[in-house]
Amino acid sequence: MARSGRSAQKGVRRSPKRLVLGVLIFGFAALIIAQSAPQISQFFNPVRASVGDRLGGGEQIGLWARLTGRAAQEQRIRELEAEVRDLSRYKAAAISMADRLEAYEEILNLMGEPPARGVTARVTSESEGPFAQTLLANAGRSQGVESGSVAMNEGGLVGRVIQLGERSSRILLVTDFNSRVPVIGEVSGVHAIMQGGSTSSGTLTDLPERSDFIEGERILTSSEGGAYPRGLVVGEVNKSGNDWRVKYAMSKGSSGYVQLIPPPTVERPISAGDLPAPDAVASPTQGARR
Amino acid sequence: MPGSFLTRRRQSLWAKSGPTPRLIFGSFLIATVGLFGLTRNDIFGLSFAWPHAALWGAVGWGRVGLSVRPMIILIIFGGIQDVIFHAPMGSFEVVNLMTYAASTAISAQFDITNEPLIAIVATVLLFAGAFLLLWIMASTLEDHPVRILPLFAAMLTTGLLYALIHKVFDLGRKPGEAAGQAA
Repeated sequence: MARSGRSAQKGVRRSPKRLVLGVLIFGFAALIIAQSAPQISQFFNPVRASVGDRLGGGEQIGLWARLTGRAAQEQRIRELEAEVRDLSRYKAAAISMADRLEAYEEILNLMGEPPARGVTARVTSESEGPFAQTLLANAGRSQGVESGSVAMNEGGLVGRVIQLGERSSRILLVTDFNSRVPVIGEVSGVHAIMQGGSTSSGTLTDLPERSDFIEGERILTSSEGGAYPRGLVVGEVNKSGNDWRVKYAMSKGSSGYVQLIPPPTVERPISAGDLPAPDAVASPTQGARR
Repeated sequence: MPGSFLTRRRQSLWAKSGPTPRLIFGSFLIATVGLFGLTRNDIFGLSFAWPHAALWGAVGWGRVGLSVRPMIILIIFGGIQDVIFHAPMGSFEVVNLMTYAASTAISAQFDITNEPLIAIVATVLLFAGAFLLLWIMASTLEDHPVRILPLFAAMLTTGLLYALIHKVFDLGRKPGEAAGQAA
């Protein structure tokens, strides 16, 4: 039903709100048209970008997560996701490099390092007392851990298994005073022995007289003595007075897990009398890799 | 009178609340629906069109006549919609305000309170007009006719949901107007 009388009355006294509404509509229509000029439309771009970041950036912790107190978990998940993305790139690069390395070794008929096998174990206790600095891991003989296995964490070398149980193993840390690790400078190629004794850094001894380490270079295991495989990251070398000290790489890893890698095994040479007859050997190079 | 006393006691909280709380609650609902609209719009793999919730306010709040507060809220929602839809600034403000103006004009011309048919037809026309205006505006600003189907789907969702929750956007009287002061 039409309200002819009422509308007629209202028509006489026009509300200022109607004028406001008309001005607003006209103003916004003018704003739309004005944005055909790039200078004006660009004026709103920072606002749009900022709001867009907040709405769909994905990096912000959601309101719901904040309200339910899961902001820290969300943050951790995002960090781990970012880390996984990074690591997947490294993994792809490592696979490619391993393929190439295998090909080079094949070409050179070179005896490469055996592939790393290992058991990942959780560190159940850590002794920081006055005695030997050791860790107790929850994997032992029944899990395939061997005596003398090398322990690694995300950062680098942790130590060696000195005591082996059925379901546990005790690891002597490289930080222990009695620990001695033959090491090599990654860039300089200088050999030395790293001695423990401090929780943050080890001392390099038995240095050659003529050559020196490079400040900040990585220190790797050199495999001399056969206790450690070659190339495990031990730390970073720094000059401290007249001494070279190694900042342990293992302190970067704090997940509470270690990987126990079997110790390198070097086959004992067999006596010449036990060798097979020369005609049984197909070629001089064949078998070098076996 | 005992009868009227009982009637008054039976009134719900919503019936007793004035236009300002209703306006706030309606704005909250629009904001909530809009916020959830930013997430993926599908349930069990079935995608659906998300409603243009600000139009609920434009249609519903316009029924009691013009007021400044709903206009400001519609402008704010319009600005947010501009950013979300990456439309030129002012586009959704114009659509919201024109729908609000049209809703006010229709309620001034017709007795939509006592004539349900007129109320339904007016609401359908208002939503259709709003989306038509949006299509024309988008097509003009984008220099090509934009797709009709998504807009049509959004119009249906908006209209159907409004049929269910239209009472939330009924202010009863103009915001700021005292009870019994309405014309």
